[in-house]
Amino acid sequence: MAEAATPDPRWCCYFFLYDGSKVKEEGDPTSAGICYFYPTETAADQQDLLCGQLAGVCRCVSELSCSPVRLLRLRRRKFAVCTRGDFLWALGCAVDIPDISIHGFLEQLIGLFCFYNGPVRESYQLRSKEELAAQWGKYLSHLQGGATELHHIFSSLRTIDSTHIDPLLLLKAALILQACQRCPLVLAGCILYCGRVVSTQMPPDLTAKVLVHETEAYSQDLANGVTPTESNVTSIPVFLTPSELHALRCPPVDWACRSHCLPLQANHTKKSRLSREHYDPCFSPSPSLSVFGDAPFSQDHSGSCDQVLANGTLQPSMQERSGAQEQDEEILGAPLPAPPLKGENGEDCESHDNGHQGGGGDSDGSKRQDGCGEQGQPANEEPGNQTGPQGPRQRSDEEQLEKIDRQEPNDNKGGSEEDGGRKGEEMGRNTEHRLSGTGVRGVCSEESQNNERIQGGKTPPYTPALGALPPPLVAMALYQHRVRGLVLALLVEPNFQSDAAAMEEVHYSSLASLNGLEAHLRSTTAGTPGPPGGYTFAHHDCLQNTLTSENPVRPLACVTMRVSSRLTVTCAAAAVSRVACALRRPRALTSALTSLIAAAARVSARSQPVWGAGGPLERSFVRATSLLHSHFSQAVTLQEAIVRNAGSAVYGTRSTAQETYFLQQGATVRNSGVPNPQDSAFSLPSKARHRLLKHGVNLL
Amino acid sequence: MPKRFCSVLQDPPQSRKCPAERPMASKSSLLKVILLGDGGVGKSSLMNRYVTNKFDTHLFHTIGVEFLNKDLEVDGRLVTMQIWDTAGQERFRSLRTPFYRGSDCCLLTFSVDDSQSFLNLANWKKEFIYYADVKEPESFPFVVLGNKLDVAERQVGAEEAQQWCRDNGNHPYFETSAKDSTNVAAAFEEAVRRVLAAEDRAEHLIPTDTVNLHRKPRSSASCC
Repeated sequence: MAEAATPDPRWCCYFFLYDGSKVKEEGDPTSAGICYFYPTETAADQQDLLCGQLAGVCRCVSELSCSPVRLLRLRRRKFAVCTRGDFLWALGCAVDIPDISIHGFLEQLIGLFCFYNGPVRESYQLRSKEELAAQWGKYLSHLQGGATELHHIFSSLRTIDSTHIDPLLLLKAALILQACQRCPLVLAGCILYCGRVVSTQMPPDLTAKVLVHETEAYSQDLANGVTPTESNVTSIPVFLTPSELHALRCPPVDWACRSHCLPLQANHTKKSRLSREHYDPCFSPSPSLSVFGDAPFSQDHSGSCDQVLANGTLQPSMQERSGAQEQDEEILGAPLPAPPLKGENGEDCESHDNGHQGGGGDSDGSKRQDGCGEQGQPANEEPGNQTGPQGPRQRSDEEQLEKIDRQEPNDNKGGSEEDGGRKGEEMGRNTEHRLSGTGVRGVCSEESQNNERIQGGKTPPYTPALGALPPPLVAMALYQHRVRGLVLALLVEPNFQSDAAAMEEVHYSSLASLNGLEAHLRSTTAGTPGPPGGYTFAHHDCLQNTLTSENPVRPLACVTMRVSSRLTVTCAAAAVSRVACALRRPRALTSALTSLIAAAARVSARSQPVWGAGGPLERSFVRATSLLHSHFSQAVTLQEAIVRNAGSAVYGTRSTAQETYFLQQGATVRNSGVPNPQDSAFSLPSKARHRLLKHGVNLL
Repeated sequence: MPKRFCSVLQDPPQSRKCPAERPMASKSSLLKVILLGDGGVGKSSLMNRYVTNKFDTHLFHTIGVEFLNKDLEVDGRLVTMQIWDTAGQERFRSLRTPFYRGSDCCLLTFSVDDSQSFLNLANWKKEFIYYADVKEPESFPFVVLGNKLDVAERQVGAEEAQQWCRDNGNHPYFETSAKDSTNVAAAFEEAVRRVLAAEDRAEHLIPTDTVNLHRKPRSSASCC
């Protein structure tokens, strides 16, 4: 990337991969288990100390609580933790980074490694630690560099600034991708320009992975002073999870027969892929389907999916993996409100919700597809039967975490599950399963304030088995055609590379268009920013995982929060800020309030601006956004919030599809200290609605 | 004024940067040839037929511009022709017009089974001259192509087309078919010949033009 933003050290103070299988005996040195440690210059004994202690704590806590450790919060640092089988990853960052963001960071990091190197265990068997350390280092620096702080917070894709280019060019890019897909060996593609996404047919997380290679190649060229004048074509092996692959292979044609379940699936998707269909044909809802019971699965899928799965070898692994994988990601997913679920399975969801206070902000939305898939299946059968279908899954370690989660709330779940099972049987076992699954998932995670707290979900008991097998990855190829700064990246079947005719066809059918698109994009000037509108905003599209923003301007010092609706509570935090809260459900109030106050105190107590590059004004806006985003992710009922100081206020609002943050500058503030109808802050929502319309942000 | 003069002055930085697919051995080795004409007359098909020898019946509207490079030898001279294909539809006008500048030759294309596309040739010529900022339109090399020769029902007769060419600057006229590859290579090669001939003429008229014009700022300073 051309922009050389310095990595913010707060995002990754420490990162390590620890292999527990290497340290079994009393005499085994801890260092034997350390596969990679960042910063690499850390003294060996300190590495041992940190890895040993953290791994020990994680193991201890997860065994005691029968649930996996996801977050360890210390006084000045917190560690996002991920365990898969014997492997443990921990990423240490500053405490004020939202949990959801740091988990997203860690997941991305692991995902990147697996995408380019294949399964971790095999990688470390086949290649040297040093070689792989370089890979980790590369992914770390990629994830930390380049984008703005806001991008980090939302783990969003870097996209080209579409406000300054002709929309027809986006259409052109999309058509190029479609033309490439006429070759049956091409699964999906994306077009990148100077390290930014122009158009993509892939799910956002997959696009993000593809972006790494491109960005790296591009910056290398720049660094070497090489102008990549010649168009060139490369192809490298990559590894997809079965769920990713399934999503890509499943033809859009199938939607029709599945339309009945779309609304639901939407709710399960990580980045809330709510209505993805309309945007990205390749992003079909299939992943969730793939993990349903066998019967619905085969019913639902036809065409290529069936073929893919027909041999039977892929299918189990897909089920396994997609569940596991997505689930893992999902925990970090943006929170989605429960109501849609209730619509169809009201009782179930409700009962779960009640059982779990705090509403599992992140989880419920997060438990989208695979969560529901996994659970759909149990719901499908009596607990006793579950050993059968679930057997293979147990090997997947990620799953295992899931399973652990589900253990505790058994009591709660029993009823609903049976319920779901029955309905499922009666009604063709599709929707209901999904629903009960979702309901369950919906509840389980709230990992925010408690240090090492892991969410509990409800499921039949599973024995957490350490040493589970890693989920299988499928080898594919990443074809890249570069025309200067423009890159066409296609995920293709491995035999594409040996098929000269297919390669030639794809190459020639896209070459002229790529040349033209590159010429267009190059001649597009960066565009002058419009006249200052006196406001600043950030808009995160959860479906496409993209971010639109305009430069922030003014400092904030402290916090007041307001949450929409019935109930209003006011309280003071740290003598600086006031928190006014109104929540839909009183049950959630206590915890939400507590965390708001704590957050307010944290923000206000901080004398120096903390967030990344930019002036203090920008940092403050970013900080407020981060704070709000964090709370949105934790409290599912939270829809609107205002963070303010004496001079300005940031308004945040979210729905399943988007999160928007808005700062009005220079507004006359009549802040009486207690919420009252005259307070200018309360006009922010309507201002935001009006001002942002012209940016294509619809808050109505 | 000879053509070389125009070409030097009107060469925007863009035009010399765009031909980027391969390194330029010398300035004259890369010729920018642009295809203009109504939507659907077969400009993209002509380009694809000529460069990749493929014909695709399912081409979508071109959006904006596209280009391909083709190395060829004409009359013993090696040149790289950069063929720019443009969008014919009116709504794409703002996207395509910036790329007219720097063209060495313009191929005005119509479809022999569509008389309106033939009538529009004059507009295309005018648009090109305006946006490409051609200083000497009379001497600028245009070539006229009547495509879709394979179609049975013609609406434009060969004689009619030739007459138009004679009346509008004596442009060469080719009847082509991208579908069955008739006359396509001949048309593009003729375009190259025209460009080379124009350049030769220019060099002949003002042998030292290139040097003088390139250093114009300096020489004017010395004059004062």
